[in-house]
Amino acid sequence: MKTRNLVLGVVLAASLALTACGGGTKGDGGDGADSDVPQKGGTLSVLLNADYSHLDPAMGFDGGVNNFYRLIYRTLTTNSTESGKTSEMVPDLATDLGTPSDGGKTWTFTLKDGLKFEDGTPITSKEVKFGVSRVFDPAQGIGSPYAKTLLDDGSGYQGPYIDKGKDFAAISTPDEKTVVFHLNQPYADFASVVGQNSFVPFPLGTGGGTAFDAKPIASGPYKVESYNRGSELTLIRNTNWSESTDAVRLAYPDSFEFTFGLDGATIDERMLADQSGDKNAISGGSLQPANVSRVQTPQIQDRAVKTTAVCTTYMGLNTTKENLSDPRVRQAINYAVDKSSLLTAAGGSQLATVANTIMVPSLLGRKDFNLYPSTDNKGDVEKAKALLAEAGLPDGFEMVIDTRGQPKMTALSEGIQQALAKVGIKVTLNVIDSSTFYEVIGTRSQQHDAAITGWCPDWASGATFLPPLFDGANIADKGNSNLAQIDDPAVNQQIKDIAAMTDVDAANAAYGELDEKIMELAPVVPLLYENGLQLTGSNIGESITGFNGGIDLVTVGLVKPGK
Amino acid sequence: MTTTPTQLAVAAEEKGSPLNGGGPTSARRVIHTMRRSPAVLFSAGFIVLIALMAIFAPLLVQLSGWGPYEYDANAVNPDLGGLPHGSLGGIGADHWLGVEPQSGRDIFARIAYGGRVSLSIAVSATLLTTFIGVVLGTVAGFFGGVADQIISRLMDFLMAFPSLIFMIALLSALPAGNRPVLLVLVLSVFGWPYMARVIRGQSMSIKNREFVEAAYASGASKLQIVFREVLPNLTGTIIVMCTLSVPGYIGTEAGLSFLGVGVTPPTASWGQMIAAAVPWYATDPMFFMVPGTFLFLTVLSFTVFGDHLSKAIDTGEAR
Amino acid sequence: MVSYFLRRLFSVAVILFFVSFLTFVIFFQLSPDPAVMICGKTCTPERIEQIREQLGVNQPFLTQFFTFLGGIFAGRSYGAGEAAIHCAAPCLGFSFQTSQSVMDMIVSRLPVSITIAAGAAVLWLLIGVSAGLISAIKSGTWWDKGAMMFALGGISLPNYFIALVLQYVLVVQLQILPFPSTPDFAEDPLFWFQSYIMPWSVLAFGYASMYARLTRANVLDTLGENFMRTARAKGLPPLLVLRRHALRPSLTPIVTLFGMDFAGLLGGALITETVFGLNGVGKLAADSIGKNDQPVIMGVTLMAALFVVVANVVVDLLYAFLDPRVRIKA
Repeated sequence: MKTRNLVLGVVLAASLALTACGGGTKGDGGDGADSDVPQKGGTLSVLLNADYSHLDPAMGFDGGVNNFYRLIYRTLTTNSTESGKTSEMVPDLATDLGTPSDGGKTWTFTLKDGLKFEDGTPITSKEVKFGVSRVFDPAQGIGSPYAKTLLDDGSGYQGPYIDKGKDFAAISTPDEKTVVFHLNQPYADFASVVGQNSFVPFPLGTGGGTAFDAKPIASGPYKVESYNRGSELTLIRNTNWSESTDAVRLAYPDSFEFTFGLDGATIDERMLADQSGDKNAISGGSLQPANVSRVQTPQIQDRAVKTTAVCTTYMGLNTTKENLSDPRVRQAINYAVDKSSLLTAAGGSQLATVANTIMVPSLLGRKDFNLYPSTDNKGDVEKAKALLAEAGLPDGFEMVIDTRGQPKMTALSEGIQQALAKVGIKVTLNVIDSSTFYEVIGTRSQQHDAAITGWCPDWASGATFLPPLFDGANIADKGNSNLAQIDDPAVNQQIKDIAAMTDVDAANAAYGELDEKIMELAPVVPLLYENGLQLTGSNIGESITGFNGGIDLVTVGLVKPGK
Repeated sequence: MTTTPTQLAVAAEEKGSPLNGGGPTSARRVIHTMRRSPAVLFSAGFIVLIALMAIFAPLLVQLSGWGPYEYDANAVNPDLGGLPHGSLGGIGADHWLGVEPQSGRDIFARIAYGGRVSLSIAVSATLLTTFIGVVLGTVAGFFGGVADQIISRLMDFLMAFPSLIFMIALLSALPAGNRPVLLVLVLSVFGWPYMARVIRGQSMSIKNREFVEAAYASGASKLQIVFREVLPNLTGTIIVMCTLSVPGYIGTEAGLSFLGVGVTPPTASWGQMIAAAVPWYATDPMFFMVPGTFLFLTVLSFTVFGDHLSKAIDTGEAR
Repeated sequence: MVSYFLRRLFSVAVILFFVSFLTFVIFFQLSPDPAVMICGKTCTPERIEQIREQLGVNQPFLTQFFTFLGGIFAGRSYGAGEAAIHCAAPCLGFSFQTSQSVMDMIVSRLPVSITIAAGAAVLWLLIGVSAGLISAIKSGTWWDKGAMMFALGGISLPNYFIALVLQYVLVVQLQILPFPSTPDFAEDPLFWFQSYIMPWSVLAFGYASMYARLTRANVLDTLGENFMRTARAKGLPPLLVLRRHALRPSLTPIVTLFGMDFAGLLGGALITETVFGLNGVGKLAADSIGKNDQPVIMGVTLMAALFVVVANVVVDLLYAFLDPRVRIKA
């Protein structure tokens, strides 16, 4: 009896402490319990280093711009804004996640009622079709490639501007509310594909050339009021957006002000100082490692948002090279790399976590495992040496690693160089200019033994992660993403099998298993999952970290909009 | 940033007027004058110290126990973004001058190795510009005519050129290659006119002196006169200009490295170390203080030494 | 005078032509393929070829060079049809990394650089020249020694080092000044002044030291010349001698130097702007170097060259005005 009471007491105390903690992070010093709940109204500013790549969604395709697009654009489906479920897709313009037929080759979506563009014209199935057809324009379709690969009917269609009179047959619009996609192959997870930026609707005939980069036509809760490329962008409410049609976007502020071209250090200083106008600001990028130690006081800690990691930073090992063709050598390298030192080089535990699997934790069906463990992730020199000896290379060998001339990448490659030296592998770094890095490592004749790079998913499934990196069929002379150039029959077959699965959840779980199977072959060394640490002004309420990384802009708002 | 070219210009300006003395100044007298000044002794001492440190960097590093590229994860705190443990940027018995944040690399080792880079680039550039400057300067000044016309126009062009931004543009466009050599070449291309202009002016005035005419009369060839009469008379100027160029080139090299167009990592250079320290200015001030102080003292020592040398030679010749 | 002016103008044109030619050669020969950079993540060889065509980088070198020169005077378009990007004259190129015309980028950054340069110039001229003059007059005194020691420190301290020390002491430790920014003067004059005072001081310290040394040396030189000895022998008081006879010849070289230095700064105080994170032309150049945005680096180089070369002419004309001997020589 006594013991039981004691245990109960401990549990109670612990839960009380937890509640206290929870209250503590929310409260902001006597302002009341709900001082972290965002309210409608006010102007929220976002401080950014670089401008967004493109305001035209057919062209922009990176985490930062994907996050921004949701403020002004809508797609058939989109990522949820519900806490803990941001990896999942929910209906947006469509009423549901689509209905497959013909074994997954035909997908039908029904549009919601009351959808309008910023100028008041209704969004019908024709506008959705027109939006998608734009990505077939060779000059514009440089963003998300999925619409192009799945809807290519082999007719050589070149988009609505070049092939003006021609009908885009891959999408049919039986009535105003129904959109039917005719894919060139069965695709079970098409509900995720239609959440890509290439599925943003536009009024018929608009958006030729770079028109949308200057003045987009909004379908989301905000529209562009003014835009001065490279310096500032102002969004105001799109009065034709109706909240009742949108279950995803919270859209708290009345307007957004984006300031571009600010130095990383300047942003940090301003956010740390939290002076006047910056109280209503958030930093668009992550805090610099140098300033992590300044986030120590509770006041500042309360304003720091640790966002989730989106990408895996990894080192691809070129399996066609003499020594690296032996899986034991690649496994030895996996053992030898001191990931803890890389963690520090990338900004420490606040800005990264050690990666042991290829897939990032945010992916659905991802399996957590570690095939090459070592104490504190410092690398296991003994095991690595043993494997090298087994492979007939007891004295190590020499290899060249391709890396970028950018501080963090340089730091990572130097860390790997140091760690591999301990097992006798002499590494030479081939520093490539950032602007041509991807081209060089993607060209088979130019890539060396290994390359340090990263991969980010396009939606929360291994489907956008494992096939591009490990399918033997994807090895190409130029623009190659299978850096390991691994062409393993078992892996290839499994990728094919998973792609044919009709149950998306089962497929995602199968990718998780495949991840482990691939890691047994060790074609890559997963290094880090790098997350962000964003600072918010003291008047910013609680928000959600989106799937694209960073504070989800459609969920952020001011606590006291009047200020 | 434009400090260096103008600094050279100032040196050239200050040495602009031809020397008035007769024969070459006695080296012994100059050394004697110099040795009496404590400032000279200090600066010479510091230069020797830095030179020794650079030359014996590999040995010193053995002594201190940490190489310039070795990571020391125990010296930095991963939970604070990789900030060094300890209050003074990790200064202690283990790391004499502290460590670099994030990697934990030893700053003493990087200073020593960085000194090698900085000094060898500055000295090589000085030697090269002196060579080009003296050759072209004497050709222009002593022989005159078309050669003088061409060389003078070229000098005007190069000196009217926004050399610094051009150096940066050039270095940023050049492929990685052998950076130190590229740096020396680029520094020299834009540096030689300052030397050449002074040499040209002085050889022009020497040309008309009695002793040169006497040498002609005794049947000496033009080349003999250049080597026997003109150059020995220019030694003082050349030495002073050299001493004053070295700090200029050290500063410029550091500046270029600071802007990311200098030597490529992991090779250390002082300018690059300071550039890496910029984001850390608030959290780890020692990270910029250490290389900054070394850079400052080295440049200062060379300048003080050059100033005094110039004065000693001038007064020696005036006597 | 007119023919002198015309001749100088011609030489400006020649120098600028050479500068642009040299710059173009360097970037044409050495820079990575811009088409690859534009092509982005989902790129195909055909697409690269298409972009090359659009940019005209598949044309022979001279054609490209003259297209570039033509762009400066008449503007140009990249590509054809609806996707064409127009770059109005004076077109210094187009940055495909940021999708902006290089000219626009420079012009938008120029006010900050001008503010930095002008403020620093006022400081360094006032302090440098007057310190140099006093030192020369009181040559050998404690004032002279102290000032020259200070100046020695000024020319030996790298400006980024002083910048970091100032920033650490004034912003972090003492918290006297805010972290610098680039506010409008009209919006918040106090913040404007607080923001610029550090960059001004940092730049001015180095230049003032140089100018002080140079002024002192020049004045001492002039004072030692024969006509000065005569003037003094006539019994004129030293200050009057200085004002009537020594000032002009000692200060003319300073004018030259000042013109060059000031013009150089208009092309961007690269390091100072970088350290303080101020968005001037220099920071633009430094950032573009980091991103290898070649058209921007090239544009800034040409712009800086223009400033320096024009300043040269202005200085020469000023010289001709100040010093009649130059006019005769010309």
